[in-house]
This record gives sequence, structure tokens and C-alpha cells, in this order.
Amino acid sequence: MGLIKKVPAYIEKFPGGGIVTTSLNYVFSQSQASSLWYLLFGTACCAIELMAAGASRYDFDRLGMIFRASPRQADLIIAAGTITKKMAPRLRLLYDQMAQPRYVIAMGGCTVKGGPFYYDSYAVEKGIDHIVPVDVYIPGCPPRPESLYEGCLKLQQKVKGLKIQDWS
Amino acid sequence: MNRDQLIEYISGKFGDKIEPLKTGPVEPVFLLKDNSFLPEFCRAIKTDLTLQMDYLCNLAAVDTGEKFEIVYNVASVEKNIRFDFKLTMPFEGAEIDSVQDIWPAANWYEREMWELYGINIKNHATLTRFLLPDDWNQGNPMRKNWDAPDFIRMPEL
Repeated sequence: MGLIKKVPAYIEKFPGGGIVTTSLNYVFSQSQASSLWYLLFGTACCAIELMAAGASRYDFDRLGMIFRASPRQADLIIAAGTITKKMAPRLRLLYDQMAQPRYVIAMGGCTVKGGPFYYDSYAVEKGIDHIVPVDVYIPGCPPRPESLYEGCLKLQQKVKGLKIQDWS
Repeated sequence: MNRDQLIEYISGKFGDKIEPLKTGPVEPVFLLKDNSFLPEFCRAIKTDLTLQMDYLCNLAAVDTGEKFEIVYNVASVEKNIRFDFKLTMPFEGAEIDSVQDIWPAANWYEREMWELYGINIKNHATLTRFLLPDDWNQGNPMRKNWDAPDFIRMPEL
């Protein structure tokens, strides 16, 4: 993975090398954005909306997004549901097991800032950006499948704007 | 048996150790005055042939501002009877006997009480932590006087 990041630096030295790099950027980022496979990570009520978005009326498969059960085969975590303090190290473990490039969507109020459990709760982790770096936040309790769609499309825009040198 | 017959039967059987309270619109609520009488009382209501309370619906602790109350909801499946009874105890040295031998469902309820309120349970088989995280060192969260740096209370409106 580290080797391919150095390729554009060599290609650009030749005349016309910039065109090759931008075409390669385009192809790679388009193909990544069109097939983001997400890890099944539904903890609470937002998982029902995630399942509804993946079912037949609002279909995730037409965006190319399929659920995978193992983090090794996924490149997106949609953290749907309340994350408690007991669950937080496990979420970090799953995030660390994913191969790069990897993305995180924080779905629902509980993952953004604690949601309805912000007041008077001893066990809820108030926001998952203390644990994993988040790319897209989707508010709602729970967000409708259309909101989740918009979040995924925004993530696709973000993925398409990524250059090969910036793959982290 | 209806509500008045039930109150009469229990008051008649256990005398002055139990006292019916005025609360409870549907099911009668009793106050057990002697905490050490609890195991015998539970055994008696389970084996009694007119009551046969073999189903422990709920066992919870309440932190009113001054003392703990422990509430038991029991029901009988055969005879269709439900009632509640409660015990009170002060904050210091709060402990109670386990009713696990009588109703095995009390196992998890008592572990939850021990973990979240700090009420000691005597004669319990497996008193281990299972609700809070493994490295929890911040006390008993459900008490009213518990506080932590990231515990935000609802502001007064």
C-alpha cells in the first residue's frame, strides 16, 4: 500500500505524466466510491433504520453498498446506535481491524453528541468522535432512510475528491 | 380472591410483621417491618396453598432521599394473585438476605442492586460485576448522591 503512493511522484516527472495521474485518481476514486462495503454494526434503534435502508424500498445495493460481517472485508463503519462506555473499546478494536482506506459514518443523535442520553446518564459515551475519527455525521433520532442516503452520498463525494497521495 | 380478602388473609397470617400500605390502586402493597423476617416470609408465601406465589416479577431498589427501599413484586400463576411488598433500610450498612433459593430469578436482580446501589447481599452464590464496564472505579451510579466529571444533570427549566 505504501508503494503505490510513491508512483505519482515518479510518473509526474515525464511530460504528460500529470494526465496519467489524474486519470488514475479518477478511476480509483470512482471505483471506490461506487462500492463502499459497510460493516454490520447496529447497536440500537438506528440499526432498524439501517436495515430499512438496506431493504427493498430504499435499496443500498444500487449504491454498491453491501453489508459484510467481518471488519477485515469492510471499508466503512456505519455506527448506528448508542455506544456505551462498555462498548467503546470494542468499537475501537473493530475500527483498527479495518484495512485502509476506511471511513466512519456517525448515524443518529447518540453517536453525534449523546443524543437523548446527554443528560442524566452514567454509562453512555457522549459522541463517538472521542473514539474513532468520523467522516460524516447524520443527525436524527433515528434518521429516516433518506437522511442516511444523503449521508452516504456525501461520503461518496468525499471519496471521489481523494487523491492517491492522500490515501491514509 | 379479591383485594380485600387478600389483605385480610395476609394480615391475619403474619400479624404485626407486615402492614398494608395505602398506595397501590390495583395491587395491594405491604410493608415488611422486620428485615430479618424476609426469608421466612418468602418461603411461607411460596409454599402456602392458598397463595402459591411462585413468580417473582420484579425486584428493585429505590433511593428516596433518606433511605433505601427494596420492592418485590410477586405473582401467582395458579391462583391469579399479585401483590407487592417492600422493605426499608438506612444508607449505612445496607444489606439484605438473598431470596435466590426461593425464586431463582432473583439472581440477576440482586447482582444489579449490588452493583448499582451498593446494597450488600448475603448468601448470594455469584456476586460479580456484569452491567458496568470491567474497569469501573467510580462508585455506585444509581445513588442520588453520586457524581462524576462527565455526568451532566438535566438543568432546571
